[in-house]
Amino acid sequence: MKRIALIALLLATPALAAEDGAFSEGSEAKSWNLTAQEKARFTAKVVDILCEVAGDCPKDCGAGTRQMGLVREADGALIFPNKNGQPIFTGAATDLAPYCGKMVEVDGLLTGGDEITPGSAKIYQVQRIRELGGEWKKANRWTKEWAKKNPDAKGKGPWFRRDPRITEEIAKDGYLGLGPEEDKVFIKDWY
Amino acid sequence: MLGLKRVLALGVALLPGIAVASEGERIAVKGELIDTWCYFSGVMGGPDAVVGSAHHTCAMWCAAGGIPVGLLGEDGTVYMVLKLGEDDDSNGGDTFLTMTNDTIEAEGMLYERDGLNYLVVAEVTSNEGVTNLTHEDFGVTPGNTIPDAVVDKVLEE
Repeated sequence: MKRIALIALLLATPALAAEDGAFSEGSEAKSWNLTAQEKARFTAKVVDILCEVAGDCPKDCGAGTRQMGLVREADGALIFPNKNGQPIFTGAATDLAPYCGKMVEVDGLLTGGDEITPGSAKIYQVQRIRELGGEWKKANRWTKEWAKKNPDAKGKGPWFRRDPRITEEIAKDGYLGLGPEEDKVFIKDWY
Repeated sequence: MLGLKRVLALGVALLPGIAVASEGERIAVKGELIDTWCYFSGVMGGPDAVVGSAHHTCAMWCAAGGIPVGLLGEDGTVYMVLKLGEDDDSNGGDTFLTMTNDTIEAEGMLYERDGLNYLVVAEVTSNEGVTNLTHEDFGVTPGNTIPDAVVDKVLEE
């Protein structure tokens, strides 16, 4: 029954297709089959979002510790890049932080909005970035920075299986966040 | 009629590239700390499957990876959390990682900008831990969250 419910849920996921929008011209963004995805290439100023909305402004946008935003040149809208171009659970702030305060051009996908969160704007996945007039760079810097910070976490498998903070949390609270004993009950019931 | 502050803020906000802090509103809100990318993008399925215990490990991966953590309010509103108490390391910081999927009550400042809600949490006034037991309906999302070796070991016990 549970598996039937899961299949029904997956089938109920909205039909997805890359669509053009107001900022799609010239975009070379690759489709990720996201909800209401829309290719978007635009110029923008890179900002520290906490500074931008609340006026809490450290040097260098927090030097990579904070979420970064894009104030789009065409309309002044604050766009929130939640994701970089790597398909492995990695955000965009690490890729954008080196451009703090600079004008850049970005290319990627807008996703979300009314289908998921009524009344909400879309968020952004940045796939490539360049300073105005410069060379494009892929937004894939995150794993290199993680490897520098975690030299002892070498081994097989992707970073998220080896990250010491995550393995510590799983050891303490289990994969469900309910404790290791609840994991055992779940595994025996589900698998 | 618009107040003078709002007229001035609107005028400045219309100038591209000019940073201007928004006028915030003090609020108290209860909800679950979620992985905003999977919730908005649908990349792992519908929104009910990417919250709570079913998605807890994936949400930790995303929080550690610097994907923004949001607070999903009881009315379905999503607040992008920029600061949790004293911790403004919203790009993968420890506080954001360790509270993933917890149901909390928080007080702080709300800023609305271009269709998104941004929350600066001043204080977490209660924390119930993970209470949204979505694994009972969805298993784990993604399906390979728990490694085969772990599953096999438990089944052999």
